[in-house]
Amino acid sequence: MATEPAILVEGLVKRYGSVVAVDDVSFTVAQGEIVGILGPNGAGKTTLLETTEGLLTPDAGRTLVLGVDTHRNPQKVKERIGVQLQASAYFEHLTLKEILTLFGRFYKRRLPPMELLKMVGLEEKANTTVAKLSGGQKQRFTIAATLVNDPEVVFLDEPTTGLDPQARRSLWDFIQQIHRQGRTVVLTTHYMEEAQYLCQRVAIMDRGKIVALDTPANLIRRLEQPFVVKLACPRPLPLEALGQLAGVQGQVEHRNGTYLLRSADGTATLRDLLAWAEAHAVPLEHLEVTTATLEDVFLALTGRQLRD
Amino acid sequence: MLFALVVANLKMLVRDRMALFWALAFPLIFVVIFGLFRLDEPPTTTIAVVDNAQDALSQALLSGLGAVKTLKLEPYPDEAQAHKALADGKVRFALLIPAGLAQSPNHPPLTLLYDRSRVSAPVILGVVQRFVDEMNLQMAGVPRLLTLRAEPVQSRQLGYFDFLLPGLVGMAVMQFSIIGMAVVMASYREQKILKRLLTTPLSVRTFFTARVVASLVLALVQAGIILAVGDTLFNAHIRYGSLGYAVPLILLGNIVFLHLGFVAGAFSRSVNAASGLGNAIAMPMMFFSGVFFETSSLPKVLAVASQYLPLTPLLDALRGVLLEGKPFWAYPGELGILGAWVVISGALAVRFFRFQ
Repeated sequence: MATEPAILVEGLVKRYGSVVAVDDVSFTVAQGEIVGILGPNGAGKTTLLETTEGLLTPDAGRTLVLGVDTHRNPQKVKERIGVQLQASAYFEHLTLKEILTLFGRFYKRRLPPMELLKMVGLEEKANTTVAKLSGGQKQRFTIAATLVNDPEVVFLDEPTTGLDPQARRSLWDFIQQIHRQGRTVVLTTHYMEEAQYLCQRVAIMDRGKIVALDTPANLIRRLEQPFVVKLACPRPLPLEALGQLAGVQGQVEHRNGTYLLRSADGTATLRDLLAWAEAHAVPLEHLEVTTATLEDVFLALTGRQLRD
Repeated sequence: MLFALVVANLKMLVRDRMALFWALAFPLIFVVIFGLFRLDEPPTTTIAVVDNAQDALSQALLSGLGAVKTLKLEPYPDEAQAHKALADGKVRFALLIPAGLAQSPNHPPLTLLYDRSRVSAPVILGVVQRFVDEMNLQMAGVPRLLTLRAEPVQSRQLGYFDFLLPGLVGMAVMQFSIIGMAVVMASYREQKILKRLLTTPLSVRTFFTARVVASLVLALVQAGIILAVGDTLFNAHIRYGSLGYAVPLILLGNIVFLHLGFVAGAFSRSVNAASGLGNAIAMPMMFFSGVFFETSSLPKVLAVASQYLPLTPLLDALRGVLLEGKPFWAYPGELGILGAWVVISGALAVRFFRFQ
């Protein structure tokens, strides 16, 4: 059983009228993995997730969760998964503890409400209503509520959207904690930092298709220019000269005295740049070589920015 | 699981101030208003009287009018002062009796001055006219051939408030169920609570059964409170022995109203729209189904049509049970219409339900 994939999606197609939201998608997620689906709004991430959870009926293909067909045996799947929907609320006239107790009743297997609240640091709010929580607390509670049945697979749909950076950080810690408890976690996001920080593997999704699925490091390594050289200079530099340095490919970006070079070979570019700067007596105020980000991967794979 | 959900629903219903307003405050406001202003006891009307005749005939007329319970006669010395009292609004009517009233054959006419804007004007004119006619007949020596003997047939004196109270119970149950259910459905959909529930193994049927059971329990509590307030504060004539017979009626009606609220919720895009649509369904029934007055006082077409609304048979049967002590099975026609509504509204609810 342990070798069975947590999630298996095969040839999945979901249409809304003439719009193909999910276009022939296949992938697997191993048990205990934490996988992110990264893509811009409208890429089909939510539809893919909700079809896999059994909320939506696919037009073609099949989805298995822990070896059980989501659409043939939805009740059995629902017992074993925890689902956090994008921006869904809970009963406004019940307290946090009452909501968790009630939701626990829907399952055969359940965790004690106070234990769940403690896990997200909300045990002092047990007797208040959701309306009295801050944005970050609300989101933490929402995720705690997905754990009432001690699920083996947890689906999180844009868990940190709309949160401030601090609240996002604390939620990341909590999501990692869920993963460390041995649960499989699948989350969608349009924040590349989030995918890079949290996920063992990242699926890049665009226009209904998964265009790449690998570890963040591998995705970046596969880029033609996996390095970014950033330099600053008080006086204007000739862009053509920079573009001809060893390893540099593509357009040189220039913004407020800072230059950005994409390179296939970071070491060669750096060596060549230093020699060129010395020969032309160019004072370099700032110089750094970094690896590319998932943002660059997305741009290279789709020709578009992750956020428009 | 069902029990836990029913309890949770009861908690939610009781904690929802908006729902509680429709459930209790709104109908109780009517109970208190109509309880304080006993509409079936007509108010007394003061008539300014200027008796310039001061003879046997005028005395006879005034003593006759003075015997009418709802009239109070106030003597004024002259016409000028009576006119002034009328103009100042101190009195609404003034009766002027000319001198030489008894002098036959050409009796000078009596004059009744009145404020045309008064609703009661025709009633008072009729009363005075009756006395004048009576005296005319007596003076002409016409024998009385027909007499009218009015006799109340009800064993107990039931007033308007007694008629109203079961009406308010029906109205309260209806509004709470239709508007409450419509709003809850719309808000659950708007906030994706239904969708969230769909991710759990809970069946939709269990979820709605719990909601309906909780609403039925509250409808009975609601009816009990309204009847208790009407009885203890304003002495309504409710037959307590028959309260048990009212239970199945209230439950049956409530199921229809919950179904209707459910349909209204399904058609509404937002909570506000649901509240509006719920009201649009409940309001006409409040007016046409005989909450405040008998449907027979409606225009013929409306009176007949109103018999087929769900609230009308509920109120008719409820009044019979609560006021006359009849068992609910004494109303097979009413139960038939309600039963038909249960089926029709249930089919509509199933047909139009959607999660998202």
